[in-house]
Amino acid sequence: MLKYILSRIAAMLITLFLIMSLSFIVVRLMPMSLFENPEVPLEIQEQLEDKFHLNDPLPVQYFYFITDIVTDLDFGISVKLRPGLPVFGILIERLPPTILVNFLSLFISIPLGLIAGTAAALKRNTWVDHVISFFVVIFISVPSFVFASALQYFLAFKLGWFPTLYDTNAATLAEKFHSLILPIIALALGPIATIARYLRGELIENISSEYLLLARTKGLTKVQSIVRHAFRNSLIPISNTLIAMITGIMGGSLVIENIFAIPGQGGLTVKSIMAGDHFLTVACLIFYSVTSLVTILLVDLSYGLIDPRVRVGGKKS
Amino acid sequence: MIYDKNNLPEEIKNLPASAFESLHQEDIKDEKFKTKPVGFFKDAMIRLSKSRLSIISGAIILLIVLLAIIVPNITGYSYTEQNVEQQNLPPKIPGLEKLGIFDGTRVLTDRRKDKLDDTDRYPEGCILAVTNERIVKNVTMCDVKVDYYKYCGVAEGEYHWLGTDYLGRDQLTRLFRGARISLIIAAVTVVVNIVIGVIYGAVSGYCGGKVDIFMTHLAEVLDGMPYVVVTILFMLVFGAGMFSIILAMTVTGWIGTSRLIRAQFYRFKGREYVLAARTLGVPDRTLIFRHILPNCIGPLITRAMIAVPGAIFSESFLAYIGLGIAPPEPSIGILLSDGQSVLLQYPYQVIFPAILISALMVAFNLFSNGLRDALDPTKRGEE
Repeated sequence: MLKYILSRIAAMLITLFLIMSLSFIVVRLMPMSLFENPEVPLEIQEQLEDKFHLNDPLPVQYFYFITDIVTDLDFGISVKLRPGLPVFGILIERLPPTILVNFLSLFISIPLGLIAGTAAALKRNTWVDHVISFFVVIFISVPSFVFASALQYFLAFKLGWFPTLYDTNAATLAEKFHSLILPIIALALGPIATIARYLRGELIENISSEYLLLARTKGLTKVQSIVRHAFRNSLIPISNTLIAMITGIMGGSLVIENIFAIPGQGGLTVKSIMAGDHFLTVACLIFYSVTSLVTILLVDLSYGLIDPRVRVGGKKS
Repeated sequence: MIYDKNNLPEEIKNLPASAFESLHQEDIKDEKFKTKPVGFFKDAMIRLSKSRLSIISGAIILLIVLLAIIVPNITGYSYTEQNVEQQNLPPKIPGLEKLGIFDGTRVLTDRRKDKLDDTDRYPEGCILAVTNERIVKNVTMCDVKVDYYKYCGVAEGEYHWLGTDYLGRDQLTRLFRGARISLIIAAVTVVVNIVIGVIYGAVSGYCGGKVDIFMTHLAEVLDGMPYVVVTILFMLVFGAGMFSIILAMTVTGWIGTSRLIRAQFYRFKGREYVLAARTLGVPDRTLIFRHILPNCIGPLITRAMIAVPGAIFSESFLAYIGLGIAPPEPSIGILLSDGQSVLLQYPYQVIFPAILISALMVAFNLFSNGLRDALDPTKRGEE
């Protein structure tokens, strides 16, 4: 097991290194407007260049770039959006709303997806199953930003049930959540459908399996056999889709935050891309990568905890 | 002992045909097939044609593809043609306009009643109804329902079926031009991903051993990079444009395919028929492409179909975060994100691209599900 974890971590670090190298290329390619401003005297420009190691050969610059990030979490300074401020600070400041939205979406999508999937599997080929399957196809296919637009227009603008945008000046927590409901729904629909779809398939397979027949024969009721055996066994493959779901929610959050004007990290990333603030973009992306890599690692390891076969085998095929 | 074909002893080489005798003494008495044999693909097509959902979704895809090819050429507008006087026109469709929908009208709110007679601002005959009269600070205000086409001075008989955008460009032309671009991007991306994935997976699966370990680990490391991060970084490096979108989406997009192919190669390369072919001296290349790869065609087609909606989604996602293709070229994503910024004022600018992308995605998903069931009946009903 330890060997497995170590090899996973090693792969993760190499991946991260690759991303940082790509980021370096991006940062180097960007026009250094700050340093090529004709109004800044030449001496100061030179001093600046010395300070930021711009006169050193590229490999040395690369070395500085990596060590600054790894040792000091120094991603550089914002050039366009908030000139002069260290990028990492801006990033940290924007985190809370993003974490709130992403976690809540994940939090509501798992139980709802499980309920929908179970209902569809147990009422197989009835109208319940058909209705759920219909919505599953819609929710999986239609992109989250289309839902976001639809929700914003119909529920918020036409009916006025919710604020159209995120309420930054919300006085109470209740008001704040009220303005967060639509983005959370928009982000959660896809994951709900994904879970429901997988669970339905797995449960149907498990319900018709022989070990469930055995469980019934030895005297368990239908509910007992399904909850204790079929359901638990179906959860194992589901935990694997969790990775895709989490990264999916994080990616969707980039767009959704912009649509609902949530002052979060996703919105920041998009704004920095549009403004051409490359240090900020790169910092956001590296942060995003670290989060997603750590999530993948955690889910991978917990997969071993849930399913003993993975642990004993030591290695996933 | 194995003889080299060229170094056979002389007496074996020159054996006359009469020296051979058949091992089977009696005739082989196989019965002839009474019906025509049905091949793999024909079989799959028969199954596919029995699924109503697949047929409908396939027809929708075909329809959208045809519209994307035809519509931009016959609307009479070009996708770049700007007209500042015709900004944000509402949809107007001949025929339907008499029913009261898509008639090119719009309600202008909070207008001064006494200015309604001013024909400079309100050209003759454009006012259809005046509602909600009220007095604010001694001025009578009202909401006016106008024929927006007359209001903007658009010539009689000119129609923009889906309205125009903020630069006065015809939305119908742009929508299907955008669909064309999105579909092209999706198709090219999928083809490139499949080709790279097949080659990588085939080499890795066929060679096995150290090569396989190295290649698998390399793919794993690449796969660890989040899709969003990779695409954004690549787009930043290469700038906006169709080429860089395709490149960004193929950096890690092929890994899934290569895994599938590798697994299939491991399954089939030890089979007896491969061994037989190898014994007969068939070269590696022929073994890979003629003998093993055809086994992967079914899953490969399914995979390609499933990847198409994913690519369409990625394209519009990139457009949304400001990394779409370069203007003035439209794509569904560009139209959506442009429309999103005026959603509350001119919802129709979002609604039509949203409907189109949703229809496209749903149809592709349903069709690829049907195709998978048809190509691999054992997986029927699985999701």
